[in-house]
This record gives sequence, C-alpha cells and structure tokens, in this order.
Amino acid sequence: MSFKDLELNMGPQHPSTHGVLRLKVTIDNEVIVRIEPVVGYLHRGMEKLWESLTYPQILPLTDRLDYIAAVSNNLAYVLAVEKLAGIEVPKRAQYIRVILSELMRISSHLAWVGFQANDIGAITVLLYGFEYREDFLDIFETYAGGRLTINGLRIGGVPFDLDGGLIGRIRKTLARLPKRLHEVEMLLNENRIWKHRTQGVGCLSAEEAIEHGLTGPCLRACGVPWDIRKDIPYSSYEDFEFDVPLSDQGDVYGRYLVRMQEIRQSVRIIEQALDRLPAGDHIAKVPKILRIPAGEVFHSIEAPKGELGFYIRSNGTDKPERVKMKSPSFINLQSLPSMCRGGIFSDVVSILGSLDIVLGEIDK
Amino acid sequence: MKKLIRFFKAFFLVDIAVGLGVTLKRYFRRKITISYPEKQQVLPERFKGMIRLYKDENGVPLCIACKACQRACPSNCFDIEGERNPETKKLHPVKFDWKLDRCSFCSLCVEACPTDAIRFSKEFRMSTVCKPALRFTLPEMYLEGDDLQRRLKGGPGA
Amino acid sequence: MTSPAPFIFEFLIPLGKIIAVILYPMVMVIIMIWLERRVVALIQGRLGPNRVGFQGLLQPIADAVKVFFKEDIIQRNADKLLFNIAPVLVMFSSLLAFCFVPLGEPIRIGSYELTLWIAQSSVGLLFVLGMSAISVFGVIFGGWASNSKYPLMGALRSVIQVLIYEIPIGLTVLTVVVLARSIDLVEIVRAQQAGKVWYGFLMPVSAVVFWISGIAETNRAPFDLPEAESELVAGYHTEYSGLKFAFFYISEYAHMVLVSSLVVLLFFGGWLPPFANVAALSFLHKVPGFVWYLIKIMFFLFLYVWIRGTLPRYRFDELIKLAWKWLIPLSLVNFLVVVLLKLLL
Repeated sequence: MSFKDLELNMGPQHPSTHGVLRLKVTIDNEVIVRIEPVVGYLHRGMEKLWESLTYPQILPLTDRLDYIAAVSNNLAYVLAVEKLAGIEVPKRAQYIRVILSELMRISSHLAWVGFQANDIGAITVLLYGFEYREDFLDIFETYAGGRLTINGLRIGGVPFDLDGGLIGRIRKTLARLPKRLHEVEMLLNENRIWKHRTQGVGCLSAEEAIEHGLTGPCLRACGVPWDIRKDIPYSSYEDFEFDVPLSDQGDVYGRYLVRMQEIRQSVRIIEQALDRLPAGDHIAKVPKILRIPAGEVFHSIEAPKGELGFYIRSNGTDKPERVKMKSPSFINLQSLPSMCRGGIFSDVVSILGSLDIVLGEIDK
Repeated sequence: MKKLIRFFKAFFLVDIAVGLGVTLKRYFRRKITISYPEKQQVLPERFKGMIRLYKDENGVPLCIACKACQRACPSNCFDIEGERNPETKKLHPVKFDWKLDRCSFCSLCVEACPTDAIRFSKEFRMSTVCKPALRFTLPEMYLEGDDLQRRLKGGPGA
Repeated sequence: MTSPAPFIFEFLIPLGKIIAVILYPMVMVIIMIWLERRVVALIQGRLGPNRVGFQGLLQPIADAVKVFFKEDIIQRNADKLLFNIAPVLVMFSSLLAFCFVPLGEPIRIGSYELTLWIAQSSVGLLFVLGMSAISVFGVIFGGWASNSKYPLMGALRSVIQVLIYEIPIGLTVLTVVVLARSIDLVEIVRAQQAGKVWYGFLMPVSAVVFWISGIAETNRAPFDLPEAESELVAGYHTEYSGLKFAFFYISEYAHMVLVSSLVVLLFFGGWLPPFANVAALSFLHKVPGFVWYLIKIMFFLFLYVWIRGTLPRYRFDELIKLAWKWLIPLSLVNFLVVVLLKLLL
C-alpha cells in the first residue's frame, strides 16, 4: 500500500475541526499536496430568514453566528442599522458597548488558546483557558442573564446600565487575569515542544495574506498593522489608548503571541473605559416599530476573529430587503491551502486551530 | 555566552521543568467545581430561566393579551387570543400557547410586555423526554417549581 | 512431613507466585486507571471521578463492566485471525516480562526462603527488554488486520517509534551493566546496595535518557502521536471495541508499570531504602523492601501522568529527530564516559 496521493477525509465529525468542517486532504507521503475545505454543514439559512424579520427581531439571531464572541456580531449589526437609520447612540452606551466587546474578545481568545493547545496535545491548557473564561461568563450572566449568546446590545444602546457592583466585579476579574495569563505562558511560550510544533508552521507572507483577504490576528501576525479599531474607529474606540500587537513571523507561533498580547491590550481598554465612563443614558429613544427609509449600508468591526461586517439594504418597511454578513472565518479559511502547502500532515490541525474559525460564522 | 546559557537551559530541560512546576502548583490548588446537585450556584438576578407568566399580589393575572410579546418574538413561539371581559372592560387571554422548543431566550418578549406579566424565572431544569411536554397552554404557563417539573416529565395533562 | 513438602514447595508456591506476579501488574493497572484520571483532572483544575466509591476508587471497576458489555465489532474485510491475536499478543508480551522482575529480597518464613520473584536468571534484564519488544508484533497485526488506512498508518508510526527508541534504552542499560557487572536484575540491585550510591545519581544522564526513551516506548505523552485523538490517524486500536480494546488499554498500562519497574530496579535501588548508610535514618530499614519498591514505582507512575498533563505532543518527524540527533549520540557518549571512568577509577 503506497502513500502516494492518498486522499484522506477529515470528516465533518472530528475532534479538531472546531465544528462541522470537512477537509479533503490529498497527501503524498505525509506531505500535503491539496487541501480543500467543504463547508455548509451548519447552514441554517440565516440571511434568508432575516429578510422576513424586523430589525429588532434579527438582533438575537445574530448572536448565533460567532457564538463564542456573541456581542461582536450584535455590535456589527447594530452599528450598521444605526448608521442606516441615523440613530445617535449616547456616549455612555458607546463606552459600555466597548467594555462588552472587549470582554468578549478576551473570552474568545482564552477559548482559542485552550482549543489550540488541546489540538497540539497540551490538554491542561484547555481546561485552564476555560476556567479563566468562567469569570467572564459569570460577568455576562450578571449583566444580561446568559453566558454564551447573551443578546447584549439593543438598537440605540445597551439593554442595562452598568452599576457599581458589576463595575467592581469586572475590575476584580481583570486584576486576576495577568497572573493567570502568565501561568499559561510559562507552560507554553518557551516550551520546546510547543515551539517545535508551532514555529515555522503555516507561514504566510504579508503580501500573500493581503491577497487572500486575511483579517484579524492572523493578518497582524504576518506583520500588517491593520486594526479597524485604530484605522476606522467606531463606537468611541478613538478615545482609548492601546497598542496593536504585531508579529513578523507569520506562523502559528506568531498568531499565538499576537492573541495573547491582544488579551492584555483588551484589559487596558476596559480599564480606561471603566475609569472614564461618562454619565448619561444607556439607550437612545428608538421607535417601537423601526422603519428605515430606503438605502444601503455596509459597516464592519474588528471582531476577535477578524473583520466582521454587515451589509443591509432597506426599502422603507420595518423589515430589511437584504442582509449580508461578511464573516471573517469564511475568508480566513480560504487561506488554509496556502498555509498548508508543503507542510506535513500533522500540521493541518495546528494551522486550522490557529486560524480561529467558528463554523457558525462560516455557514450562517 | 548567551548561546552557552541557551544550550545549558535546553540540555537541563529547564523549560519542561518550569511547565511541570506550574502544573504541580495547580495540582494542589483548590478546585472551583461546584458539586451539583448537592451544592447549587446562586443565580444572578437577571438570569434567563424559563419564561413564565405572573400574577400580581392579589392573585390576579397580569397578562392583558395585548400580543406585544407575540409581535416581538423572532422565533414565533406564541399563539395568543384574547377576550374582553364585559364587566371590567379589560382584556384577558383565553388562549396562550407557548413553545419551549422554539424559544431562544432572547428577552424581546419580556422587554415588550407593558404589564410585566411575562418574565424570566430561575428555572433551568428544562429537560423532558416527550416533545408534547414542551408546548405549554394557558394554565400551565403559571406553573413553577416541582409542579413544573412534574408537568415536564409527564407531558400535557400531568 | 516429606510427602506434602515437595508438592507445596515445588508446585503450589511457584503457582502462587506466578498468580501473584501476574496479578501485581493487573492490580497496578487498575490503580493506574484511577490514578491517571484523577491526577490529570486535578492538574486541570477539575475533580475527576469522585462519585463511584470513595474518591472514585471504584471507577476502574465501572469502566471494566462497561467495556465488557460493549459490542465486539469486527470489520467485514478484516483478517480475523490477526485481528483477534493482536491484543492477546500485546498483553502477553507485557505480562510475560514480569517473570524476571524481582520485587524484593527473599523473605524468611520459618526455614523456607520465599523469593519474591518467579525466577532468577543471569540474563533477566535481556529477557525483559526482549519481551517488551515483542509487543511490536501485536501492534503491527492490529494495524494491518484492521484493513483501514488510519490504523495502518498509526501502527507503522508506533512501530518505528518503538524500534528507534530501543537504541538509547539499550545503550543506557549497558552503562548500568558495566557498573554492576551483571545482567541479572537481582544482582544489579545488590550491586547498588554494595556501591552505596544508586546508579541514578551516579549517572543522571543515563537515568534521564532511559526515562525519556521509556516514555517513548510506551507511546505516552509527549510521544503519543500514534494514538492521539486529535490527530487524524487515531492509532492502531481505532477499529477495536469492547474487550479487545480493553486488552490494548490494559497492556499499555502494564507496559508502563514494566518501564517504571525497570527504572526503579536499574537506577534507583529497587527495593533498597534511601539513605542506607546514614545511621540516624536506620528506622527506614524497618519498612520491608517491597514497600519501598512500590513507593518508588508509584512515584514514577505519577511522573508519567504528570508529564502527560503538562507537555504538548511531539510531531512525528521531531520525535525521530530527537532520538537520532540527541538521545542516541548522548547515550553513546555517556557510555564511553562511563567505561573510561570505570577503567580509570
């Protein structure tokens, strides 16, 4: 039995494909010749469904796209609707939105570190990542009542105000985080096995990354300093001071370092937002039945996975005519063949993990 | 010199020893597991348990069958019909069908209700083995606690 | 009392010893199943099995009962003979190696000396190493007979791994043999007793290289690529279910116990109490030898699980590179150094 041009199938059910993703892999004696992702196993017809729902009704369903960082989908959608309808969001609500977004980013990256480490074999880091994430899920539970898909925003603002108790809890959680991150880094950063498995694996140059339309931490790990929060700020991000972590290596190790640094920068942003929280309303006055005059808008944000955008076309009624979501994972997944080319088969799992894909976003 | 230090660090497995030290410390730390069902977590105030209808302090149902919740729901969970009481001229529901299997716990109905009749409870034990048990009618929307569990286990009519 | 005595001494007692020495790895396996799940869970910040029996100690029994009732699936095109023989072969080789593994000094009962081993041979160590290498056959049979690409790839990888890591094991064992002047496991321990310093502290490089190679031999983390769940190739025991899978599982643990026993016997004094020549700690000698032996083995089994919980997995080519570029040259140099020092000192 020869292993030349062997076609393998990493089927939809697999412990490491982060969801129902099918990969058709052709290998030639352990070197990858072709890799083809087959998506669509989680397709729920969301975009078509949204055409028959009103604008406020679509909002809880956008939670289910990137279900690990639910508020980022909500934020992109809500910003697009507010831009189209011309709704002005109060400053306090914008700051609370930033706080919620960044908390979601931290919890998404903690989950990512867990999954990536588990795929490479460090099974404890998975549990550590999820244990640290528990604190954040408890904050979301106290704020909005849910842990994963929280429906945490509303058109015009946020549903609840942040009271002193919750602010204190957020601060306590953030104070505990750096030491915990340091523990994970002691386990992984200098570990020779981790470095063997992640350095030089899945390399992509900056030009190739831009050509493929890669966004998010994967792009920044290739050395391209593009972060929508800095370059096209939305929801008062221009008021905050933070760095955009970059890495010039473009491999899995670089993406890991970038995401760990992003967690620290998110902590910085949240602390600034909590210090300078302005007084005001937490939601603007929005009519009960929201009718938006005909027009179209595209608005994108920097989600934890990349650039997440919503295109909405309205026709004067209370239901949109067409909603299209640009999901970062779908576009990032298309660079998987370039990253895997020339690598050996065991690397597919590490590279796929480092892309940080969520099938809910890809398949909608 | 730096190269020599790096070589010795690699030779004496320093990075692996550091990792082992971290896990050994964690081995002895107290675990955060809550042993359910002996111990239970205190649920926050805004916890989104199962949707229930409520009555006011005199036992009068608060729902006025305005169908705001039906209009707000994105998942089509409600089927409500109301009737006007000829004496008090107030609306009250005669049919209030709610489907638990469609509910996504988004809270749009709770926010839409003008009389605070429909609210989240703290009930999270929602499992059952028969699908008809997930469809609730008007009197069953007021069940809570053990009655609710009996209804979920037994299905409609329990 | 002459007529029952030969019967007892030459049949019943050896039979009892065989049963005891076969039961000993099985009991250790049962403890290992519990230990692994509990220790890995505690390292990960959760509790692990704690409902079945006190602190979950009856969990292995629950696992055994569950596995017993599972359906025994055989592939339609699988080679039935090899498919059925493979787990037996692996188990057989793991258990048979315990024949020559001594547990302690002979105990005096009345006028009879009860030896704590089934047999003592002047080539005991060679036999043990040979038996642990026979398990390779079971792996190949299992991978081939499953008639499926992934188990075959996993089996081949496992076989290459075991064969390559036999070399550092052989070389480091040779350093011990050079110092102890014997391949008899009992004599090696007695030589450590005479030499006052255990070989693990005299030759730490040997001990560490032997331990790393031992982990690779038993296909345990960080060298468990052939059987890891998150890699595509799920290993030679993918197609096995039910009791046959349990056999593979048990024999892996038995092999771990064997490697731990070897490390303890060759490098860490076997059944000798620590600090043997410190007069103040002579109360340690009151504890029987095999209790010390068990304590040391438990430490190394804990070390196995601790390492599994901490380290990521080596990729296959790095695994081979580690052996060829580091462990084999290192163990060769180590052997030369030991021989030179022995000649000079």
